[in-house]
Amino acid sequence: MTDKPLLELDNISKYYGNIIALTGVTTSVNAGEVTCVLGDNGAGKSTFIKILAGVHQQSEGTITMEGEPMSFASPRDSLDAGIATVYQDLAMVPLMSVWRNFFMGSEPTKRVGPFKFIDKKQAQATAKAEMAKMGIDIRDTEQPVGTLSGGERQSVAIARAVYFGAKVLILDEPTSALGVKQSGTVLRYIVAARERGLGVIFITHNPAHAYPVGDRFLILNRGKSMGNFAKSEISQGELTRLMAGGAELEELQGELAEAISGVKQQD
Amino acid sequence: MSDTAAATSEDDASPAAPAADERLAYRSVFQRLFIRPEVGALIGAAGVWTFFWAVSDIFGTAGQSFGWIDIVASSLGIMAIAVSMLMIGGEFDLSSGAMYGAMAMLTVFIVKEAGDLGGLGLPMAVSLPISLAVALGIGFLNGTMVERTGQPSFIITLATFFALRGLKLGLANRFVGQIQVASTEEASDYDFWRPIFAGEWERNTWELGSRDFFYTTLVVLGLVVILCGVMELWFQRRESLNAAGLTQLAAGAGLGIVGAILMHATDGVGGNIISVGVIAVGLVVGVHGFCQWRYEPQTDSGTLQLDSQMTGRFGKGIGLIVLGGVAAIAIDSSSEGNVVFPFTTQGIRAILFVGLAAAGLVFLAMASQAALSINAATKRVATWVLGAGVMLIALIIFVDSESPKFRAALFTILTLLTVLILAWGLVVSRFVERRRVERDADRLGAGLIAAGIVTAAIGIAFRLMFVTAAELEAGIPPAKTSMRVVWFAIFLIVMVWVLGNTRFGSWTYAVGGNKEAARQVGVPAARTKTQLFMIVSMAAWIVGVLLAFRINSIQANTGDGEEFEFIIAAVVGGCLLTGGYGTVLGGAIGACIMAMPLIGISVARWNTDWRFLFVGVILLLAVVANRYIRTKAEALRR
Repeated sequence: MTDKPLLELDNISKYYGNIIALTGVTTSVNAGEVTCVLGDNGAGKSTFIKILAGVHQQSEGTITMEGEPMSFASPRDSLDAGIATVYQDLAMVPLMSVWRNFFMGSEPTKRVGPFKFIDKKQAQATAKAEMAKMGIDIRDTEQPVGTLSGGERQSVAIARAVYFGAKVLILDEPTSALGVKQSGTVLRYIVAARERGLGVIFITHNPAHAYPVGDRFLILNRGKSMGNFAKSEISQGELTRLMAGGAELEELQGELAEAISGVKQQD
Repeated sequence: MSDTAAATSEDDASPAAPAADERLAYRSVFQRLFIRPEVGALIGAAGVWTFFWAVSDIFGTAGQSFGWIDIVASSLGIMAIAVSMLMIGGEFDLSSGAMYGAMAMLTVFIVKEAGDLGGLGLPMAVSLPISLAVALGIGFLNGTMVERTGQPSFIITLATFFALRGLKLGLANRFVGQIQVASTEEASDYDFWRPIFAGEWERNTWELGSRDFFYTTLVVLGLVVILCGVMELWFQRRESLNAAGLTQLAAGAGLGIVGAILMHATDGVGGNIISVGVIAVGLVVGVHGFCQWRYEPQTDSGTLQLDSQMTGRFGKGIGLIVLGGVAAIAIDSSSEGNVVFPFTTQGIRAILFVGLAAAGLVFLAMASQAALSINAATKRVATWVLGAGVMLIALIIFVDSESPKFRAALFTILTLLTVLILAWGLVVSRFVERRRVERDADRLGAGLIAAGIVTAAIGIAFRLMFVTAAELEAGIPPAKTSMRVVWFAIFLIVMVWVLGNTRFGSWTYAVGGNKEAARQVGVPAARTKTQLFMIVSMAAWIVGVLLAFRINSIQANTGDGEEFEFIIAAVVGGCLLTGGYGTVLGGAIGACIMAMPLIGISVARWNTDWRFLFVGVILLLAVVANRYIRTKAEALRR
């Protein structure tokens, strides 16, 4: 652990008029660590992302990045500060090739005389190499992104964010639309990003996905923080219980047993 | 974590294992080829060309080809290229047709002699930049309006279309007193600009006695090289080359040359049949030798197995071809009468025969494709039945037709095709199909195909550029060409380059494919779209100026309604209506498909009104085919 957290959130609250969307949320992200934000639907996860991504501004509280207080007025500000957000819809063009998607908006160019054109060879090689660093071997960077599996698409989005200098990577429910095996792949990308020294904020509603990769857990329920724990302070069972908020625990018991046994199998 | 990795390794890549590539489905050569949008269009263009070549006497001759090439070059092609780009960027421009008419009028109006009901009397050197600026301004306006209002470009440019139409009529009446503006010739510097925009010259005035020798040799050589390239892409290379195959290859090549000399030396049907036989044997032996030399042989190809679906397709295929043959023979080929206005007996006959025979071949090809999934031996037999089908068509044409064009040219082509199919059937069942990626082989194969295409194109250029003494004596009109073709070629090359190699090109695909995604990662979406509208209006300016120089006097309704033809050309060329997919080259080929019927229908002596039916059918077929090809190509990895 480094002395100063990469990103620190202190007592963040957000009100939309009289609606309290988020209140009193405190957590931190260290370089080379994964902070998981867990919560059921309506827990305030999206509000949390939007504040960090610069889409909305917090009503109260402070965001500190590498010791500097920050305020994000627009998504561009947040991006410039080194916070990259990978949304569920992934910001990909399905019919475009992998390398064009990878470099979309920031294509490397080469100049010959008065003409400036895309350095395809370099772009393809870089895309392939960056994907390899994330642990995915793309056979052909010319293949359209639409032909990739959901997990591979996530990896393109993550590799892109990493390559373009993100320090903090926010992943918005990257495993929610994926099958068990593909989710596993995405979790490996998260670990790969962590090992490359990024701070990762992993938003999910699945404790079974969060627990194996997370170093720190922020649990949200109905806009409130239910706690901010280091991994050593909490077990997966507790995590699940906190997330469900205790209320419908009885009903969920059967379901949870199943989920936990699934995780046991993986362990 | 390692457990998670173990659980996922079955269908996702594992970083540690380089063998992970194996899990990717290998796309066969044709699948890879068909994912390119312009390939389907190219096949369509070849089909349309063949159709008109078959139903008329003069379509396809060098002199006649000028007709449709000039249509492509002077309006349809250039506009289709620009409209394709805009469509890839996800927008339409319904004002493109009216705009080129407006640009032509404006250009002429500025140079028209001053006076009562006159123009401005300025030189062309002033008129050209002014009209270009106006064109770009309209494009900018279109783009900005679409971006600002967030309304579909369909409705915004529809408004521009009507506005332009009104302006053209209204201003022409106001200033010139009539609904046409003339003439370009009144420009003081007309003589300087005319060769640049309207220069025409006779293309084949050079005589070359051995033209046909060069033409045939180069085209055949090109085809052989293309075949080698396809095989390189198709088959699995062996570990070490087998020299025995080289002997066979040499023997095959020798036989081919002997056959060619024999054909040259002898006259009459008997000599021809013998030499064709020799060439055919040479080709099969050569192809087999080439494969023996380079590729991994199959150890077990299985035995012939038939399933009901396959035999059903065979039955339908052969049945349709025979039916077509019967129809062709039954209908009197010399009759000139109209059966149903405006179809001549000839036309009906051609449609019946070509349609039924083509449908039959499609069935046979489908059966042959299906056979591959059973085993190699079945594939071989299936391919040979396909070859027999082609030969059957060739024989029907030979027996039935009196025209030397069919008896000689088409018969030869179909025979060659049959031999190729037979050779292909043989090697496909004897050598292992490649199922993994080999960069070297892919590169070599693609290189060979490109080299083959270039060689064949040079051969065809010989045919187009030169005349023989015999043709000169027969008084065949010289083929012309014009600066319009040069403008079209330049525009095409520049736009292909821009779309494929620049940031702007990449952004065009991005904003068309997923505008929100593009914006999120920093693509200036609004600017890109506006620039695309400006490219369309620039194309309209080029076309307008070319038109002004070609016909001098411009009607106020010029171009109105043609915008749909440009859009159709783009769609036929494989561009996706919803954006994000397509190529400029496809749009240009689509324009050729649209232009050929214009000339083809009239030289086939049909009523030209039927062109619209033709366009409608082509559009429908293209949309269905595009969709089918793309889902097929994309579904491979799902």
